[in-house]
Amino acid sequence: MASTKEKLIAHVSTETPVGSTNKVTVVGVGMVGMAAAISVLLKDLTDELALVDVIEDKLKGEVMDLQHGSLFLKTHKIVADKDYSVTANSKVVVVTAGARQQEGESRLNLVQRNVNIFKFIIPNIVKYSPNCIILVVSNPVDILTYVAWKLSGLPRNRVIGSGTNLDSARFRFLMGEKLGIHPSSCHGWVIGEHGDSSVPVWSGMNVAGVSLQGLNPDIGTDKDKEDWKNVHKMVVDSAYEVIKLKGYTSWAIGMSVADLCETILKNLHKCHPVSTLVKGMHGVKDEVFLSVPCVLGNSGLTDVVHMTLQPDEEKQLVKSAETLWSVQKELTL
Amino acid sequence: MRSLRACGSCGIAPSLRPCSFTASAACRQAVCSWQKTCIYTTQDKTKLKTPTNIMASVMEKLLTPVASDACELPTNKVTVVGVGQVGMACAVSILLRDLCEELALVDVIEDKLKGEMMDLQHGSLFLKTHKITADKDYSVTANSRIVVVTAGVRQQEGESRLNLVQRNVNIFKHIIPQLVKYSPHCVLVVVSNPVDVLTYVTWKLSGLPKHRVIGSGTNLDSARFRFLMAKKLGIHTSSFNGFILGEHGDSSVPVWSGTNVAGVNLQSLNPAIGTEKDGENWKEVHKMVVDSAYEVIKLKGYTNWAIGLSVADLTESLVRNLGRVHPVSTMVKGMYGIGNEVYLSLPCVLNSGGVASVVNMTPTDQEVAQLKKSADTLWSIQKDLKDL
Repeated sequence: MASTKEKLIAHVSTETPVGSTNKVTVVGVGMVGMAAAISVLLKDLTDELALVDVIEDKLKGEVMDLQHGSLFLKTHKIVADKDYSVTANSKVVVVTAGARQQEGESRLNLVQRNVNIFKFIIPNIVKYSPNCIILVVSNPVDILTYVAWKLSGLPRNRVIGSGTNLDSARFRFLMGEKLGIHPSSCHGWVIGEHGDSSVPVWSGMNVAGVSLQGLNPDIGTDKDKEDWKNVHKMVVDSAYEVIKLKGYTSWAIGMSVADLCETILKNLHKCHPVSTLVKGMHGVKDEVFLSVPCVLGNSGLTDVVHMTLQPDEEKQLVKSAETLWSVQKELTL
Repeated sequence: MRSLRACGSCGIAPSLRPCSFTASAACRQAVCSWQKTCIYTTQDKTKLKTPTNIMASVMEKLLTPVASDACELPTNKVTVVGVGQVGMACAVSILLRDLCEELALVDVIEDKLKGEMMDLQHGSLFLKTHKITADKDYSVTANSRIVVVTAGVRQQEGESRLNLVQRNVNIFKHIIPQLVKYSPHCVLVVVSNPVDVLTYVTWKLSGLPKHRVIGSGTNLDSARFRFLMAKKLGIHTSSFNGFILGEHGDSSVPVWSGTNVAGVNLQSLNPAIGTEKDGENWKEVHKMVVDSAYEVIKLKGYTNWAIGLSVADLTESLVRNLGRVHPVSTMVKGMYGIGNEVYLSLPCVLNSGGVASVVNMTPTDQEVAQLKKSADTLWSIQKDLKDL
């Protein structure tokens, strides 16, 4: 006897269904990975989302929880597995996996631990999605983007680090607070190394094209009576402060990742400050990744905007590059 | 639009609440929600800058204010009480759906609360909600349109929802009167479990008319039901229509007589659907819905994403005055022969005033009996609750 489904629905198409053209994979279902996943889902960016992790129970629980929200979403296929075959044919792969720094652990040791994790992850990603764009979020992001690039064998335009996209978002938020304007109307770029030695480019800060440095030539210096320099300090301290208060950061980085994914998947050609290979730029001689304004689209990172930096700003970039290289050259890849 | 009135002491930034540096006369305005003291006085707190000895700031040079100082009340402010996993999932879903111009968070754990607020604020560039605030003090919730209550202790593995009751009632006795004090015209959406009992408790403690107190109820059960049914049929969840009503949890009622795709009633295709006699065992789908929460809790420790999305969906109907039908927990005394004041989920039309009307279903005798039984179970708990 015909089943209820057979009585209800008649299959008429003779073609095999076309697979996803904008599939997103998130590697790592910790707080950052899941914040990125929910942001990508709520922005309707993809028709297929895949999650991968090593902890199977947590992974299954997270995917079920997301699937139960299907009624409210426009992503019909949400899948997860420990096996990377579930990630096949992804357009963008967001890598949030990795170990966190233990108390007293040297940066080099943390990096080597994460290199070992990446040695498993990255080749698997590329095996199943040879044409994907890898977006590295795990910290220290600039080094790990370099590592991902080396391990993947992909061209440099397809391996991007989330870099200072979040630092710049925080900077613009604080700038907006000081001026009483929405962050999207406050323009300011933080570049270089994601973290303590990021570089706020004061000359570029503007609202409606009006340069703030033009209004206040001391901006960003110690002489500045309005202490705008403190805004950058607050950006650097942000992550530590949020971690101290709630244990980790998730929402802001998740939203910033979704923002990057949107530009890539929709081929927007928007400029974002993200981590890319900067050898040969701004006096950097080593093969390192640092954040500069880049044009992103569906073939990844196609162009870099050349900023006009002050000599001391360039010096900072070169110094960061040297620090990163000193760590990178000790790694066994 | 936020007033551009500047800090009385440093003459610079406008902001969100009084600077705690001086707390009154000198500096009444300018503190961003980031800091407790005015940005411009943090460097050296002993030196209070006076407007006369400061050059025009960047802001003064950049902007010419044109609006008057009139303080405008928010039109669609949402408050979320409780910043646990559920509360934050609700908050993020509401923010990413652009549903409110202002979001307030409340909780008792101050560090966690501040950290969550900061983390959301750092995403401001990507959002269209300009004001995100948080405080332990309920004054931060003032003038809310919608208040989502997720506070309370959560279900432990294997614990039934009904076991949570008195623990959460005591918490609500502190929360609800304060919410109503600061937002007397709001609609309260209760999420905390056991949701039907706690919605009743909230209604009693708030003194609000019954249509302005809603429980998230079986909105999520129905969403899970539709997901699982649609998956079996190979269609999108939203194209499968079906309601689960009654008590949110173990004794929820799947209304098989209403299940349909494109208006084609499944029960007329398969009269045994949902019964023991059904060869295709569709009844199993409802069992999976009931087991869902327990299963996800076992796997990841709690559930949050689905409930967050479902609450944002309700919030959208309320804030945007949509008049959509949702299965939510409402006061059902007088319906289907229920004589006690209990909250159970029925299909409700939601608009900006809350529950505008309830859809009159034609459930089977067995379904009515199940609703009545749930009502009796809930009443047996409610009548013993202290100090309502």
